[in-house]
Amino acid sequence: MHPVSAPTAVVADDERLMREQIIASLKEAWPELLVVAEASNGHEAVAMVQDLEPDIVFLDISMPGLNGIQAAQALAGRAHVVFVTAHDQYAISAFEHGAVDYLLKPAEAARVALTCQRLRERLKQAPDPMNDLLAQLSQRLGGGVKPREYMRWVQASVGANIRMIPTSDILFFRAEDKYTRVQTQGFEALIRKPIKELIDELDPNEFWQIHRATVVRVDAVEQVSRNFRGKQVVHVKGSTEKLEVSRTFNHLFKQM
Amino acid sequence: MNTDQPGAATDKAADRVTGGPATQPMGIRQALREIRKGIVVMWWSFFDWLAAISWKALLLVSFLSLLLAGILRHPTPVFFLIIVSIIIKVIAGGKRRAERIATEATKRAETEQLGRTVLEARMEALQAQIEPHFLFNTLASIDQLIQTDPPRASRMQQSLIRYLRSAMPQMRESRRPSLGQQLDLCGAFLEIMAVRMEGRLQPVVRVPEGLRSAVFPSMMLQTLVENAIKHGLEAKPEGGRLEIGAEVVDGQLLVHVIDTGVGFMPKAEGGVGLANVRERLKVLYNGRAELIITVPPAGGTCATIKVPYEIAPA
Repeated sequence: MHPVSAPTAVVADDERLMREQIIASLKEAWPELLVVAEASNGHEAVAMVQDLEPDIVFLDISMPGLNGIQAAQALAGRAHVVFVTAHDQYAISAFEHGAVDYLLKPAEAARVALTCQRLRERLKQAPDPMNDLLAQLSQRLGGGVKPREYMRWVQASVGANIRMIPTSDILFFRAEDKYTRVQTQGFEALIRKPIKELIDELDPNEFWQIHRATVVRVDAVEQVSRNFRGKQVVHVKGSTEKLEVSRTFNHLFKQM
Repeated sequence: MNTDQPGAATDKAADRVTGGPATQPMGIRQALREIRKGIVVMWWSFFDWLAAISWKALLLVSFLSLLLAGILRHPTPVFFLIIVSIIIKVIAGGKRRAERIATEATKRAETEQLGRTVLEARMEALQAQIEPHFLFNTLASIDQLIQTDPPRASRMQQSLIRYLRSAMPQMRESRRPSLGQQLDLCGAFLEIMAVRMEGRLQPVVRVPEGLRSAVFPSMMLQTLVENAIKHGLEAKPEGGRLEIGAEVVDGQLLVHVIDTGVGFMPKAEGGVGLANVRERLKVLYNGRAELIITVPPAGGTCATIKVPYEIAPA
């Protein structure tokens, strides 16, 4: 038959008050349930579950280190999981269609009672690792593969400081010896990343390469003229520097 | 009925034709008034025409009129007319130009004002977004404290009320907010987060008393503090320090928010918050203010807002 020993649980949340609240409401709804440990982040939660082998783990979704979903993935069915969240629209809609249970903070007594009742049923079976569901959740919550992300900030030395420059402030990048110069309206900075690598990380809708050594922010282009040698030259708003367009990139400024 | 109408019209026509001597002076006065009106209209259109045409055109017309008058052998009245025209042109031209400039300036000011208002409204709508995650977590914490520590629950709820007041645009009182006010509002947020995060958040405020009266735009410090906690410290299991500092350098007020959190991600989508602050600074100060983000040598993030130093009117 079933083990006579009391069921056990680990409660994980990065805020102590929240752990206390969950524990208090569990005590009321299920007096026999023994909370054997409290974790304050995802890594701790995983370690404690591996160590103490509880029947149930309550995982807050937004935790530092590993979040709740990632912790559940790492546990891979070592315990029955109940997620806890204050407000995660995506997750909630996913839970409602899946086998997994969840609690909303602040926990209502009636809802906690329902969860406990379901857990008593679920304890009769082995925990489900829920691989597919968790993978899907992880992706929705930003842990999975996302559409390509481009650089939005450039980290550069300006004087003695390391400064984060938003790409929307940058007029152009220009290769200079071993460095790349980042030019904004107010100042210039040097970075080590060569143009060749930079161009892969920049949003192609935001920046255009116009020369082997030059990348310009499209919105900063004021006009394109021709110099005395007949080469296209880009004038940039907020800078007196004129940027030559090499033949390879002439097509960018073709007349409409 | 239909047959009546032509009859009535004929009667009226007959009246007019056979109008007795009593009605005649009335008719003349009416006519004179009409003529006067016509002259006034003509005079003003002549005036406007004079004001609007170029000097070259006026000289050409004058020359041609003189020539014509010469041929007709009556040059003197035309000569006078030209002199009068030139005088009017000098006066009217100036007036017209002034009027036009004034109209343009008003229009430009209105457009700018409108642009500003629209932008401010959009910004405020963005700012007013209180994060549901924050709100529900805080309410849950208060709920727990009601069971275990009611006086503390009450204090936390009061902090939440102060925070909500500051986060709702229509509830912001002063038009020229001071740094002191902004620090007080951040204080409410920091109190809430310090209760929730306990040892993981160590807030430090280092602002000289004298700078509290400096003008500082609303809701910007708050955004920086919220960012520092959300992206910097909450994401770090052991948490860290959050320091708010202020100084005046070369007539510029620098307000720093420094955290020892996980640091800035170059690929992070600027975040609505920071983009919002930058945009608002641009609108409010027209290039004389800046948001600077640097990475301190010890790690974490330092966000600095730089605005012209002014004392807020009491």
